[in-house]
Amino acid sequence: MNPTTTYGETELVALLQARNGQAFSYLYDNYSGALLGVIGGIITDRDLAGDVLQNVFVNIWRKIELYDPSKGRLFTWMLNIARNAAIDEVRSRSYRDAQKNQTIADDDSLPGAVTGPAIGDVGLKKVLNKLKEEWRVLIDLSYFQGFTHEEIAKLQGLPLGTVKTRIRTALSHLRTMIS
Amino acid sequence: MNIQEYISSGIVESYVLGLASEEERKEFEQYCNQYPELLKARTAFELSLEQQAMAHAIAPDAGLKSKLMDAIGQTATVVPMHPTPVRKMNGWKYAAAACIALLAGSIYYNIILTGRNSQLRNNYDQTVAELNTVKKDIDMLKGNPDIKMASMKGTDMAPAAFTTVYWDTTSHDVYLLVNNLPQPADSLQYQLWALAEGKPVDLGFINEEYFVKQDRLLLKAKNAQSAQAFAITLEKKGRKNVSQPEGQIYVMGNLQ
Repeated sequence: MNPTTTYGETELVALLQARNGQAFSYLYDNYSGALLGVIGGIITDRDLAGDVLQNVFVNIWRKIELYDPSKGRLFTWMLNIARNAAIDEVRSRSYRDAQKNQTIADDDSLPGAVTGPAIGDVGLKKVLNKLKEEWRVLIDLSYFQGFTHEEIAKLQGLPLGTVKTRIRTALSHLRTMIS
Repeated sequence: MNIQEYISSGIVESYVLGLASEEERKEFEQYCNQYPELLKARTAFELSLEQQAMAHAIAPDAGLKSKLMDAIGQTATVVPMHPTPVRKMNGWKYAAAACIALLAGSIYYNIILTGRNSQLRNNYDQTVAELNTVKKDIDMLKGNPDIKMASMKGTDMAPAAFTTVYWDTTSHDVYLLVNNLPQPADSLQYQLWALAEGKPVDLGFINEEYFVKQDRLLLKAKNAQSAQAFAITLEKKGRKNVSQPEGQIYVMGNLQ
Protein backbone atom coordinates (compact mmCIF):
# COMPACT_ATOMS: atom_id res chain seq x y z
CA MET A 1 0.00 0.00 0.00
CA ASN A 2 1.40 3.35 -1.00
CA PRO A 3 1.36 6.10 1.55
CA THR A 4 -1.25 8.61 0.43
CA THR A 5 0.04 11.94 -0.65
CA THR A 6 -2.07 14.89 0.33
CA TYR A 7 -1.79 18.32 -1.17
CA GLY A 8 -2.69 21.72 0.14
CA GLU A 9 -5.06 23.59 -2.13
CA THR A 10 -2.49 26.13 -3.39
CA GLU A 11 0.01 23.39 -4.11
CA LEU A 12 -2.60 21.27 -5.84
CA VAL A 13 -3.69 24.12 -8.10
CA ALA A 14 -0.08 24.93 -8.98
CA LEU A 15 0.58 21.30 -9.90
CA LEU A 16 -2.60 21.07 -11.94
CA GLN A 17 -1.73 24.23 -13.81
CA ALA A 18 1.64 22.64 -14.55
CA ARG A 19 -0.32 19.69 -16.01
CA ASN A 20 0.84 17.23 -13.40
CA GLY A 21 -0.90 13.90 -14.00
CA GLN A 22 -0.41 12.67 -10.48
CA ALA A 23 -2.06 15.77 -9.01
CA PHE A 24 -4.95 15.28 -11.40
CA SER A 25 -5.24 11.66 -10.35
CA TYR A 26 -5.35 12.85 -6.74
CA LEU A 27 -8.01 15.41 -7.62
CA TYR A 28 -10.11 12.70 -9.22
CA ASP A 29 -9.72 10.29 -6.32
CA ASN A 30 -10.74 12.93 -3.82
CA TYR A 31 -13.50 14.81 -5.56
CA SER A 32 -15.06 12.59 -8.24
CA GLY A 33 -17.54 11.11 -5.75
CA ALA A 34 -18.68 14.47 -4.42
CA LEU A 35 -19.06 15.87 -7.93
CA LEU A 36 -20.94 12.78 -9.10
CA GLY A 37 -23.27 13.32 -6.15
CA VAL A 38 -23.92 16.85 -7.38
CA ILE A 39 -24.49 15.68 -10.95
CA GLY A 40 -26.69 12.86 -9.66
CA GLY A 41 -28.95 15.46 -8.07
CA ILE A 42 -29.74 16.74 -11.55
CA ILE A 43 -29.40 13.66 -13.75
CA THR A 44 -30.83 10.39 -12.47
CA ASP A 45 -29.50 8.16 -15.25
CA ARG A 46 -26.33 6.69 -13.78
CA ASP A 47 -24.49 6.09 -17.04
CA LEU A 48 -25.30 9.54 -18.32
CA ALA A 49 -24.21 11.09 -15.02
CA GLY A 50 -20.92 9.17 -15.37
CA ASP A 51 -20.42 10.57 -18.89
CA VAL A 52 -21.05 14.08 -17.63
CA LEU A 53 -18.60 13.52 -14.78
CA GLN A 54 -15.93 12.50 -17.27
CA ASN A 55 -16.51 15.64 -19.34
CA VAL A 56 -16.40 17.73 -16.21
CA PHE A 57 -12.96 16.41 -15.31
CA VAL A 58 -11.70 16.86 -18.86
CA ASN A 59 -12.89 20.47 -18.63
CA ILE A 60 -11.25 20.95 -15.27
CA TRP A 61 -7.98 19.68 -16.75
CA ARG A 62 -8.26 21.95 -19.77
CA LYS A 63 -9.50 25.07 -18.05
CA ILE A 64 -7.54 24.99 -14.83
CA GLU A 65 -5.77 28.24 -15.84
CA LEU A 66 -9.11 29.99 -15.61
CA TYR A 67 -9.49 29.09 -11.96
CA ASP A 68 -8.92 32.20 -9.85
CA PRO A 69 -8.34 31.45 -6.13
CA SER A 70 -9.35 34.97 -5.15
CA LYS A 71 -12.88 34.23 -6.31
CA GLY A 72 -13.44 31.07 -4.34
CA ARG A 73 -12.23 27.65 -3.37
CA LEU A 74 -11.20 25.08 -5.95
CA PHE A 75 -14.09 22.83 -4.99
CA THR A 76 -16.63 25.63 -5.49
CA TRP A 77 -15.22 26.22 -8.96
CA MET A 78 -15.46 22.52 -9.82
CA LEU A 79 -18.92 22.27 -8.27
CA ASN A 80 -20.21 25.01 -10.54
CA ILE A 81 -18.63 23.41 -13.61
CA ALA A 82 -20.34 20.13 -12.67
CA ARG A 83 -23.72 21.75 -12.05
CA ASN A 84 -23.62 23.71 -15.30
CA ALA A 85 -22.56 20.64 -17.30
CA ALA A 86 -25.39 18.59 -15.81
CA ILE A 87 -27.97 21.28 -16.56
CA ASP A 88 -26.65 21.69 -20.11
CA GLU A 89 -26.94 17.96 -20.63
CA VAL A 90 -30.54 17.88 -19.43
CA ARG A 91 -31.38 20.84 -21.63
CA SER A 92 -29.76 19.57 -24.81
CA ARG A 93 -31.32 16.19 -24.17
CA SER A 94 -34.81 17.55 -23.75
CA TYR A 95 -34.22 19.62 -26.86
CA ARG A 96 -33.21 16.52 -28.83
CA ASP A 97 -36.14 14.53 -27.44
CA ALA A 98 -38.48 17.31 -28.42
CA GLN A 99 -37.07 17.24 -31.96
CA LYS A 100 -37.39 13.49 -32.10
CA ASN A 101 -40.99 13.47 -30.97
CA GLN A 102 -41.87 16.15 -33.46
CA THR A 103 -43.63 18.14 -30.81
CA ILE A 104 -45.10 21.37 -32.01
CA ALA A 105 -42.56 24.04 -31.36
CA ASP A 106 -43.76 26.69 -29.00
CA ASP A 107 -41.60 29.77 -29.01
CA ASP A 108 -42.52 30.50 -25.45
CA SER A 109 -41.49 27.10 -24.21
CA LEU A 110 -38.65 27.22 -21.78
CA PRO A 111 -35.58 25.12 -22.21
CA GLY A 112 -35.45 22.14 -19.92
CA ALA A 113 -39.18 22.06 -19.49
CA VAL A 114 -39.53 18.77 -21.35
CA THR A 115 -37.47 16.67 -19.01
CA GLY A 116 -38.03 17.46 -15.39
CA PRO A 117 -35.17 17.53 -12.96
CA ALA A 118 -34.10 14.35 -11.28
CA ILE A 119 -35.91 14.07 -8.02
CA GLY A 120 -32.97 12.77 -6.06
CA ASP A 121 -33.10 12.95 -2.33
CA VAL A 122 -29.40 13.57 -2.03
CA GLY A 123 -27.10 16.32 -0.90
CA LEU A 124 -28.38 19.83 -1.32
CA LYS A 125 -31.69 18.47 -2.56
CA LYS A 126 -32.28 16.86 0.78
CA VAL A 127 -31.67 20.16 2.52
CA LEU A 128 -33.84 21.86 -0.03
CA ASN A 129 -36.77 19.62 0.84
CA LYS A 130 -36.88 21.21 4.26
CA LEU A 131 -37.46 24.67 2.84
CA LYS A 132 -40.86 26.28 2.56
CA GLU A 133 -42.61 25.15 -0.63
CA GLU A 134 -42.69 28.60 -2.27
CA TRP A 135 -38.93 28.90 -1.71
CA ARG A 136 -38.12 25.34 -2.61
CA VAL A 137 -39.68 25.67 -6.04
CA LEU A 138 -37.68 28.81 -6.77
CA ILE A 139 -34.36 27.31 -5.69
CA ASP A 140 -35.10 24.17 -7.62
CA LEU A 141 -35.84 26.14 -10.77
CA SER A 142 -32.83 28.40 -10.48
CA TYR A 143 -30.18 26.12 -9.02
CA PHE A 144 -31.09 22.65 -10.22
CA GLN A 145 -32.70 23.59 -13.51
CA GLY A 146 -30.68 26.67 -14.34
CA PHE A 147 -33.49 29.06 -15.19
CA THR A 148 -32.79 32.77 -15.10
CA HIS A 149 -34.75 34.99 -12.74
CA GLU A 150 -36.65 36.39 -15.72
CA GLU A 151 -37.64 32.92 -16.89
CA ILE A 152 -38.75 31.96 -13.40
CA ALA A 153 -40.84 35.11 -13.04
CA LYS A 154 -42.58 34.23 -16.28
CA LEU A 155 -42.95 30.58 -15.34
CA GLN A 156 -44.36 31.28 -11.88
CA GLY A 157 -46.38 34.33 -12.84
CA LEU A 158 -44.56 36.45 -10.27
CA PRO A 159 -43.06 39.93 -10.54
CA LEU A 160 -39.31 39.79 -11.20
CA GLY A 161 -38.57 41.71 -8.00
CA THR A 162 -40.48 39.15 -5.92
CA VAL A 163 -38.58 36.27 -7.51
CA LYS A 164 -35.26 37.94 -6.74
CA THR A 165 -36.15 38.71 -3.14
CA ARG A 166 -37.55 35.26 -2.48
CA ILE A 167 -34.53 33.49 -3.93
CA ARG A 168 -32.23 35.62 -1.81
CA THR A 169 -34.23 34.95 1.34
CA ALA A 170 -34.41 31.25 0.60
CA LEU A 171 -30.67 31.11 0.03
CA SER A 172 -29.89 32.83 3.29
CA HIS A 173 -31.97 30.15 5.05
CA LEU A 174 -30.21 27.44 3.10
CA ARG A 175 -26.92 28.51 4.62
CA THR A 176 -28.10 28.15 8.20
CA MET A 177 -29.51 24.73 7.33
CA ILE A 178 -26.30 23.45 5.77
CA SER A 179 -23.87 24.64 8.38
CA MET B 1 -22.98 50.11 3.75
CA ASN B 2 -24.09 47.74 6.50
CA ILE B 3 -21.92 44.72 5.80
CA GLN B 4 -23.77 42.38 8.19
CA GLU B 5 -27.00 43.11 6.40
CA TYR B 6 -25.30 42.49 3.09
CA ILE B 7 -23.90 39.18 4.32
CA SER B 8 -27.26 37.92 5.54
CA SER B 9 -29.09 39.02 2.39
CA GLY B 10 -28.43 35.73 0.62
CA ILE B 11 -25.81 37.24 -1.69
CA VAL B 12 -23.06 34.99 -0.28
CA GLU B 13 -24.97 31.83 -1.21
CA SER B 14 -26.10 33.34 -4.47
CA TYR B 15 -22.49 34.13 -5.43
CA VAL B 16 -21.00 30.81 -4.35
CA LEU B 17 -23.72 28.72 -5.98
CA GLY B 18 -23.25 30.60 -9.26
CA LEU B 19 -26.69 32.22 -9.21
CA ALA B 20 -25.63 35.85 -8.99
CA SER B 21 -25.80 38.12 -12.00
CA GLU B 22 -22.63 39.50 -13.58
CA GLU B 23 -23.22 42.84 -11.91
CA GLU B 24 -23.80 41.26 -8.49
CA ARG B 25 -20.66 39.16 -8.89
CA LYS B 26 -18.47 42.16 -9.61
CA GLU B 27 -19.88 44.05 -6.67
CA PHE B 28 -19.44 41.03 -4.39
CA GLU B 29 -15.82 40.52 -5.42
CA GLN B 30 -15.10 44.16 -4.81
CA TYR B 31 -16.63 44.04 -1.33
CA CYS B 32 -14.66 40.86 -0.60
CA ASN B 33 -11.49 42.87 -0.98
CA GLN B 34 -12.82 45.56 1.33
CA TYR B 35 -14.52 43.56 4.06
CA PRO B 36 -12.68 40.61 5.61
CA GLU B 37 -15.88 39.44 7.33
CA LEU B 38 -17.54 39.02 3.94
CA LEU B 39 -14.64 36.91 2.75
CA LYS B 40 -14.92 34.89 5.93
CA ALA B 41 -18.64 34.29 5.40
CA ARG B 42 -17.97 33.24 1.81
CA THR B 43 -15.28 30.75 2.81
CA ALA B 44 -17.45 29.36 5.61
CA PHE B 45 -20.33 28.73 3.23
CA GLU B 46 -18.00 27.20 0.66
CA LEU B 47 -16.61 24.83 3.26
CA SER B 48 -20.04 23.76 4.47
CA LEU B 49 -21.11 23.21 0.88
CA GLU B 50 -18.02 21.12 0.28
CA GLN B 51 -18.67 19.04 3.40
CA GLN B 52 -22.25 18.58 2.33
CA ALA B 53 -21.15 17.36 -1.09
CA MET B 54 -18.52 15.07 0.41
CA ALA B 55 -21.07 13.55 2.75
CA HIS B 56 -23.31 12.73 -0.20
CA ALA B 57 -20.64 11.50 -2.58
CA ILE B 58 -21.50 8.74 -5.03
CA ALA B 59 -18.60 6.51 -6.06
CA PRO B 60 -18.13 6.60 -9.84
CA ASP B 61 -17.71 3.35 -11.78
CA ALA B 62 -14.22 1.98 -11.44
CA GLY B 63 -13.49 2.09 -15.18
CA LEU B 64 -14.17 5.79 -15.45
CA LYS B 65 -10.81 6.94 -14.16
CA SER B 66 -8.69 5.15 -16.74
CA LYS B 67 -11.00 6.34 -19.51
CA LEU B 68 -10.55 9.85 -18.23
CA MET B 69 -6.79 9.57 -17.93
CA ASP B 70 -6.69 8.29 -21.53
CA ALA B 71 -8.86 11.20 -22.62
CA ILE B 72 -6.48 13.77 -21.22
CA GLY B 73 -3.42 11.91 -22.45
CA GLN B 74 -2.16 10.85 -19.05
CA THR B 75 -1.85 7.24 -18.10
CA ALA B 76 -3.40 6.28 -14.81
CA THR B 77 -0.89 6.42 -12.00
CA VAL B 78 0.47 2.96 -12.23
CA VAL B 79 3.93 3.16 -10.76
CA PRO B 80 6.22 1.34 -13.18
CA MET B 81 8.05 -1.61 -11.72
CA HIS B 82 11.80 -1.47 -12.25
CA PRO B 83 13.20 -4.60 -10.77
CA THR B 84 16.56 -3.85 -9.23
CA PRO B 85 19.09 -6.30 -10.51
CA VAL B 86 19.66 -8.87 -7.84
CA ARG B 87 23.28 -9.23 -6.93
CA LYS B 88 24.70 -12.66 -7.32
CA MET B 89 25.78 -13.09 -3.74
CA ASN B 90 23.10 -12.93 -1.05
CA GLY B 91 20.78 -11.14 -3.39
CA TRP B 92 18.19 -13.89 -3.13
CA LYS B 93 17.82 -13.11 0.55
CA TYR B 94 16.61 -9.62 -0.25
CA ALA B 95 14.38 -10.93 -2.98
CA ALA B 96 12.87 -13.50 -0.65
CA ALA B 97 12.39 -10.90 2.06
CA ALA B 98 10.70 -8.61 -0.43
CA CYS B 99 8.48 -11.47 -1.60
CA ILE B 100 7.45 -12.28 1.94
CA ALA B 101 6.78 -8.64 2.69
CA LEU B 102 4.70 -8.33 -0.48
CA LEU B 103 2.82 -11.51 0.32
CA ALA B 104 2.11 -10.34 3.86
CA GLY B 105 0.98 -6.99 2.56
CA SER B 106 -1.23 -8.63 0.00
CA ILE B 107 -2.82 -10.94 2.56
CA TYR B 108 -3.41 -8.03 4.90
CA TYR B 109 -4.97 -6.00 2.12
CA ASN B 110 -7.16 -8.92 1.13
CA ILE B 111 -8.44 -9.33 4.64
CA ILE B 112 -9.30 -5.64 4.77
CA LEU B 113 -11.04 -5.76 1.41
CA THR B 114 -13.01 -8.88 2.33
CA GLY B 115 -14.14 -7.19 5.52
CA ARG B 116 -15.20 -4.07 3.67
CA ASN B 117 -16.96 -6.15 1.05
CA SER B 118 -19.06 -8.03 3.53
CA GLN B 119 -19.85 -4.82 5.33
CA LEU B 120 -21.04 -3.26 2.08
CA ARG B 121 -23.00 -6.41 1.31
CA ASN B 122 -24.73 -6.22 4.69
CA ASN B 123 -25.55 -2.55 4.24
CA TYR B 124 -26.92 -3.31 0.81
CA ASP B 125 -29.09 -6.21 2.00
CA GLN B 126 -30.41 -4.11 4.83
CA THR B 127 -31.25 -1.24 2.49
CA VAL B 128 -33.03 -3.55 0.06
CA ALA B 129 -35.04 -5.09 2.90
CA GLU B 130 -36.07 -1.64 4.12
CA LEU B 131 -36.97 -0.55 0.63
CA ASN B 132 -39.12 -3.64 0.09
CA THR B 133 -41.00 -3.06 3.34
CA VAL B 134 -41.72 0.51 2.34
CA LYS B 135 -42.79 -0.58 -1.16
CA LYS B 136 -45.18 -3.14 0.31
CA ASP B 137 -46.66 -0.50 2.60
CA ILE B 138 -47.20 1.86 -0.30
CA ASP B 139 -48.74 -0.82 -2.51
CA MET B 140 -51.16 -1.68 0.24
CA LEU B 141 -52.47 1.88 0.33
CA LYS B 142 -52.27 2.56 -3.36
CA GLY B 143 -54.77 0.16 -4.82
CA ASN B 144 -57.25 0.12 -1.98
CA PRO B 145 -60.48 2.11 -2.44
CA ASP B 146 -61.68 1.24 1.09
CA ILE B 147 -58.92 3.18 2.81
CA LYS B 148 -59.92 6.29 4.71
CA MET B 149 -57.44 8.55 6.36
CA ALA B 150 -57.21 10.87 9.32
CA SER B 151 -54.57 13.61 9.55
CA MET B 152 -53.76 14.01 13.19
CA LYS B 153 -52.46 17.42 14.15
CA GLY B 154 -50.34 18.17 17.20
CA THR B 155 -52.06 19.57 20.29
CA ASP B 156 -50.56 22.26 22.53
CA MET B 157 -48.38 19.51 24.03
CA ALA B 158 -46.43 19.28 20.76
CA PRO B 159 -47.69 21.67 18.08
CA ALA B 160 -45.21 20.37 15.50
CA ALA B 161 -46.31 16.75 15.99
CA PHE B 162 -48.17 15.22 13.10
CA THR B 163 -49.29 11.68 12.30
CA THR B 164 -51.66 10.06 9.84
CA VAL B 165 -53.92 7.04 10.27
CA TYR B 166 -55.04 4.93 7.35
CA TRP B 167 -58.07 2.83 8.15
CA ASP B 168 -59.38 0.08 5.94
CA THR B 169 -63.16 0.30 6.37
CA THR B 170 -63.64 -3.27 5.11
CA SER B 171 -60.89 -5.25 6.81
CA HIS B 172 -60.76 -2.77 9.74
CA ASP B 173 -56.95 -2.76 9.57
CA VAL B 174 -55.33 0.36 10.99
CA TYR B 175 -51.96 1.71 9.86
CA LEU B 176 -50.16 4.61 11.46
CA LEU B 177 -47.75 6.89 9.63
CA VAL B 178 -45.59 8.87 12.03
CA ASN B 179 -44.87 12.07 10.15
CA ASN B 180 -43.38 13.78 13.15
CA LEU B 181 -43.53 12.77 16.77
CA PRO B 182 -40.97 13.62 19.43
CA GLN B 183 -39.15 10.60 20.85
CA PRO B 184 -40.55 9.89 24.34
CA ALA B 185 -38.55 9.41 27.54
CA ASP B 186 -37.70 5.80 28.45
CA SER B 187 -40.44 5.59 31.05
CA LEU B 188 -43.15 6.72 28.62
CA GLN B 189 -44.75 5.38 25.47
CA TYR B 190 -47.29 6.55 22.93
CA GLN B 191 -50.65 4.84 22.70
CA LEU B 192 -52.95 5.03 19.69
CA TRP B 193 -56.70 5.32 20.19
CA ALA B 194 -59.72 5.14 17.96
CA LEU B 195 -62.58 7.35 19.08
CA ALA B 196 -65.89 5.60 18.44
CA GLU B 197 -69.08 7.38 19.55
CA GLY B 198 -66.88 9.60 21.71
CA LYS B 199 -65.33 6.61 23.55
CA PRO B 200 -61.62 5.77 23.30
CA VAL B 201 -60.69 2.30 22.05
CA ASP B 202 -57.11 1.09 22.58
CA LEU B 203 -55.28 0.37 19.31
CA GLY B 204 -51.90 -0.44 20.87
CA PHE B 205 -48.58 1.19 21.66
CA ILE B 206 -45.89 2.57 19.38
CA ASN B 207 -42.94 0.30 19.92
CA GLU B 208 -40.01 2.32 21.22
CA GLU B 209 -37.76 0.47 18.78
CA TYR B 210 -39.44 2.41 16.03
CA PHE B 211 -37.83 5.62 17.21
CA VAL B 212 -34.41 4.02 17.16
CA LYS B 213 -34.59 2.23 13.82
CA GLN B 214 -37.18 4.24 11.87
CA ASP B 215 -37.04 1.49 9.27
CA ARG B 216 -40.77 1.30 8.62
CA LEU B 217 -43.07 3.69 6.89
CA LEU B 218 -46.33 2.38 8.33
CA LEU B 219 -46.94 0.85 11.72
CA LYS B 220 -49.68 -1.76 11.95
CA ALA B 221 -52.01 -1.12 14.88
CA LYS B 222 -54.86 -3.19 16.33
CA ASN B 223 -58.00 -3.38 14.22
CA ALA B 224 -60.71 -0.80 14.79
CA GLN B 225 -64.31 -1.91 14.28
CA SER B 226 -65.63 1.62 14.06
CA ALA B 227 -64.06 5.04 14.41
CA GLN B 228 -64.80 8.69 13.78
CA ALA B 229 -61.47 10.03 14.95
CA PHE B 230 -58.04 8.91 16.11
CA ALA B 231 -55.71 10.21 18.81
CA ILE B 232 -52.36 9.44 20.36
CA THR B 233 -51.66 9.92 24.05
CA LEU B 234 -48.38 9.72 25.93
CA GLU B 235 -48.70 7.19 28.75
CA LYS B 236 -46.54 5.87 31.59
CA LYS B 237 -45.19 2.42 30.88
CA GLY B 238 -46.65 -0.52 32.82
CA ARG B 239 -49.92 1.01 33.94
CA LYS B 240 -52.58 -1.53 34.87
CA ASN B 241 -55.63 -0.55 32.90
CA VAL B 242 -54.51 0.16 29.34
CA SER B 243 -58.06 0.38 27.99
CA GLN B 244 -58.49 3.92 29.36
CA PRO B 245 -56.20 6.84 28.48
CA GLU B 246 -54.54 8.58 31.43
CA GLY B 247 -51.88 10.74 29.78
CA GLN B 248 -52.05 13.85 27.64
CA ILE B 249 -53.23 13.84 24.05
CA TYR B 250 -50.40 14.65 21.63
CA VAL B 251 -52.10 14.41 18.26
CA MET B 252 -55.71 14.03 17.21
CA GLY B 253 -57.70 14.14 14.02
CA ASN B 254 -61.07 13.21 12.49
CA LEU B 255 -61.57 10.67 9.78
CA GLN B 256 -61.91 12.36 6.41
